[in-house]
Amino acid sequence: MSVQSASVTALPMAKKKQGQNIIISYLRRNFQLSIGLAILLFFILFSLIGAQYIDIKAAYPLGAPAGKAPSLEFPFGTDGQGRNLFAVAVYGVWETFRIGIIAGVIGVTFGAFMGFTSAFFGGWYDVIVRWVVDVLLTVPGLLILIVIASSMDAKSFTLTSMAFIIALTAWMGPARTIRSQVLTLRERSYVMMARLNGMSNWGIIFRELVPNLLPYLGASLVGSVTGAIFASVGLPALGLGPLREPTIGVTIYWAQNQNALLREMWWWLMMPIMTIILMFVMLFMVSAGLDELANPRVRRSE
Amino acid sequence: MSDYVLRIKDLDVQYYTDAGIVYANNKINFDLKPGERLGLVGESGSGKSTMALALLRMIKAPGRIANGQILLDNVDLTKLSEEEMRQVRGKEISMVPQGAMNSLNPVMRIKDQIIDGMIDHNLNLSRSMLEERAQEALEVVELDRKVGRMYPHELSGGMKQRACIAISVAMHPKVIIADEPTSALDVVTQRQVMQTIGRLQEQLGSAVILIGHDMGLMAQFAHRMAVMYAGSLVELGSIRDIYTDAFHPYTQMLIDSLPTIGKRGVFKGIPGITPLLRDLPPGCVFNTRCPKVMDVCRTKAPVYREYKQGHWAACHLKEDGVAQ
Repeated sequence: MSVQSASVTALPMAKKKQGQNIIISYLRRNFQLSIGLAILLFFILFSLIGAQYIDIKAAYPLGAPAGKAPSLEFPFGTDGQGRNLFAVAVYGVWETFRIGIIAGVIGVTFGAFMGFTSAFFGGWYDVIVRWVVDVLLTVPGLLILIVIASSMDAKSFTLTSMAFIIALTAWMGPARTIRSQVLTLRERSYVMMARLNGMSNWGIIFRELVPNLLPYLGASLVGSVTGAIFASVGLPALGLGPLREPTIGVTIYWAQNQNALLREMWWWLMMPIMTIILMFVMLFMVSAGLDELANPRVRRSE
Repeated sequence: MSDYVLRIKDLDVQYYTDAGIVYANNKINFDLKPGERLGLVGESGSGKSTMALALLRMIKAPGRIANGQILLDNVDLTKLSEEEMRQVRGKEISMVPQGAMNSLNPVMRIKDQIIDGMIDHNLNLSRSMLEERAQEALEVVELDRKVGRMYPHELSGGMKQRACIAISVAMHPKVIIADEPTSALDVVTQRQVMQTIGRLQEQLGSAVILIGHDMGLMAQFAHRMAVMYAGSLVELGSIRDIYTDAFHPYTQMLIDSLPTIGKRGVFKGIPGITPLLRDLPPGCVFNTRCPKVMDVCRTKAPVYREYKQGHWAACHLKEDGVAQ
């Protein structure tokens, strides 16, 4: 509190510098968020810098000598078909994140919109939305994904279209949780207070409800991205989707397909396993850290 | 005509439930002058809060305003569109709701909550002017400027109550309705909050309707007092008239039930319970508990009229007095 109130009278430059100090000192206190962001930053730098030095061709079959164990030249080794696994990590992590973020953001945005409007306005609209969501939730998402993915033309199946297919199953969860949150929030007394003071419906949604929902929206987003990454790894591992592209899931598929473990090529599976673990640890840390940031009641003071 | 800021004529509020119609407010009539402090007392469930919500047209389904007019500066609020009514709320008539201390948004700073109330009201103020208004509102309720940057969980009960009042008065409404503003506070804080409301009322010149049970508090604060029973207004008059010469037996019994210093003894209560608003007795609503009940009370509803300059009541006892 004292840091922020002191900044009122400060000059713009000093204010900016102080703003940075607040962020740094906050990150020092919010241990989980800083670790999560550090891993995220590591992934971004890894992909960005890696892409400057490594040719994308090395991530495709016959881009490197086949079946080499990790060495200085090939830090993660090469697979049985001659992919440089380091290059696959550089491009695959990027692509996996891209799919996860596209599908997660679409899912949460659409789901939150449906949940919000159906809880807030109620009536027939709510009945229909709830019915659709309930029916879709009982259908296993993987089933929908497999049916759609297997009926798509393999040639025109790109990573981006896979992201959109995953988004199809990513919105019901957020819609249901956000709807139930809004149902309790809209009966809170501060909403009544806002109405008594003549605030408009959209004003109440954006200025009263959304700030209270930020932790849930953040958690939903991270959850959706996690789910989408899971699906983007799972589908190719089952042999569906664009199997030529260098992604984490495709690597797992080929490692299975080519009996990596029987051939004692442990590094072939090691790269996807380690990156997936790191990714999920990162997502969890960010989610837990965001929860604290968005909720001033659990926010630690100086 | 414009002597009155608010005139309420024959207001009926009814809830249409499965069990039948609940008559929450019946033929409410009263006027409010600018800058006046009106106390409204009555038992729980007598329709005080319903009336307050009706003035803001905030009665939720299955309830609605069945009849009557609410004239704010000669504009009938019952005829306005929902959007026009929204503009009235907070700007012309504002309400500090019951249990207001728990009505603050837990994740927003106090100042932002005050400003948010103003944003949707076509005030045409810049951000810095809104900030200024918010600071001014905080000063009116005697809160430190620093409080504006705090979150509700950092404030005490009395401060939260003041913050709620600040939100309600930020747009200088003509009428402020305070629904039991001190019910959850200790007596010292109660007094401070009431003094704050009194002072800001004088500063802003708004009319205040204070809803509560505490007869002593009313006597100290209000200019006039209205007594409600089972959805009807049974008496209205100046504090002096009510306390020295109450017309209605219910009012008299309310005053008699107050403990007095130096007088020991058993407290006098009012025997019986309020009738169900769904199933009101025929005739006078108080006839089941009235000690002076007459035959006419069981058949004919008394008319609410002015028996003395500015002193209204609805009672057959008075009626007979006039007739004789």
